[in-house]
Amino acid sequence: MATRIVRVDPELKDLIPGFLNNRRQDALTIRAALAQEDMETVRILGHRMKGCGGGYGFNALSELGGILEQCAQNRDSEAITNAVDELQAYLAEVEIIYD
Amino acid sequence: MQYRVLLVDDDRDMISLLSAWLQEAGFEVDPVMSGSEAIARIDVIRPHLVITDLVMQGMDGMTLLSKIHRQNPLMPVIMLSGKAQIADAVKAMHLGTAEFLTKPIAKEELLDRVRHTLRLAAGESDSGLNFGKEMIYRSEKITRLLEQAKLLAGTDVTVMITGATGTGKEALAKAIHEGSARKDRSFVAINCAAIPEQLLESELFGHEKGAFTGAQTKHEGLFQAANGGTMFLDEVGDMPLGLQVKLLRVLQDFAVRPVGSVRGFPVNVRVISATNTDLEQGVKSSRFREDLYYRLCVVPLHLPALAERREDIQPLLNHFLERVGQRDNMKRKRFAPEAADYLVSAPWPGNIRQLMNVVELCCALTSTDIIPLTMAQKALRDQPAHVQTLKDAKEDFERSYLVSVLRVTNGHVSHAARLAGRNRTEFYKLLKQHHIEPEEFRSSRQASEED
Repeated sequence: MATRIVRVDPELKDLIPGFLNNRRQDALTIRAALAQEDMETVRILGHRMKGCGGGYGFNALSELGGILEQCAQNRDSEAITNAVDELQAYLAEVEIIYD
Repeated sequence: MQYRVLLVDDDRDMISLLSAWLQEAGFEVDPVMSGSEAIARIDVIRPHLVITDLVMQGMDGMTLLSKIHRQNPLMPVIMLSGKAQIADAVKAMHLGTAEFLTKPIAKEELLDRVRHTLRLAAGESDSGLNFGKEMIYRSEKITRLLEQAKLLAGTDVTVMITGATGTGKEALAKAIHEGSARKDRSFVAINCAAIPEQLLESELFGHEKGAFTGAQTKHEGLFQAANGGTMFLDEVGDMPLGLQVKLLRVLQDFAVRPVGSVRGFPVNVRVISATNTDLEQGVKSSRFREDLYYRLCVVPLHLPALAERREDIQPLLNHFLERVGQRDNMKRKRFAPEAADYLVSAPWPGNIRQLMNVVELCCALTSTDIIPLTMAQKALRDQPAHVQTLKDAKEDFERSYLVSVLRVTNGHVSHAARLAGRNRTEFYKLLKQHHIEPEEFRSSRQASEED
């Protein structure tokens, strides 16, 4: 897993809290979807996270999004649980430097 | 000038991110979260550029692209995708997308591609100054047509060129190729009407060794030869129906399967087609597949006949006189003023090709530096407007023969049939085929005798 310190473009400073909150919400949605074996929702959320994480400066979120998307396609519930654990840990610990 | 960008994505975070980047770079951004909203907004805000995601809930990016280009064929569109699928990228490019970018995307890359696309759309490409330099024209009609073609050259959109024989369809296709990013790869042209069906399939798609009698070696076919470049399908309206299905499959799958092969080979070819027939009529009469028509005719370009742009005739005459002089290493001849006036006002049913032949003939048969009116008149008279197909020529001959025999026999069918070496029934059948009424050749007395 990548480092928890992330450097972000100051121009995006206003958007970051909302972006990270949406990822926290994604983690909850993915767990709920997993409980109902709704792999399509997991895949879509993983795909989106992969697409936009790096753009905001969070390459680790793009990596995790890619893992979630792949695991959903493989219907690998255990790997999805591990990835969501990792996602929530990352979101709890990440430190942001705007420069 | 502030450029307006219509941004289409069903992911709110992506919309926020791209809007922030674009606004910071000075663009005006109008974000929407679905393809249907985008369609509704286009006519209202008239954006300079559309950026759309490929995979979206509801209408996907590919459908949106098709809908946009149906109404606004030259609207530049950048497509973003979360998956680097080559087939998607190639399909999007053929449908006219200007750029296909894979997410996650870096800010500088996006802004670079946006600026590049807008520059191309404004006709400021590096090759723009030389675009269509091989085409000779002065008319407003061709100027406007080339402006459109120049914009299309910057994209990979599939173009269909319509126009009568000899109007310069291949020259225009070549100009588009030369002005495109594919210019360093092959431009392959084939006339679909000139080659029999069995041979055409092998020519286009290739064949394996032993695929049919006479296939002694493997042949890769023109689509593979044009890989990375442009394929020009001339007279595509004359392509047999059986081959139309195979061409459609190539355009859908971006792969060719040679005759006798069990596997396909991926090809990345831009297709420009041309026809001098009314393909919409061909579709109505089931001679041309509708699905193929829409695949080929994403953007239509029409080349007007020479008689509709007479201001181009004088520059064309000068160009061909110059070319003949250089080729034959002779002093450049010129037309006497009255000869030039005569040629400018001539009907030119064979268009530029006919004009070129007239210049050739005049230069060859005139020993002086100035070509007189009489020579121009003779050359134009001696030039057939176009070469008929064998079938048309046979039909014309048959009709004219039947008319002469009926004239000789004053419309007496039995006599005419005897002269023609046919029995009466067969002869009547031929007359019916050609809609010839023998009564029209008879005097009233002969008519009553025959009846």
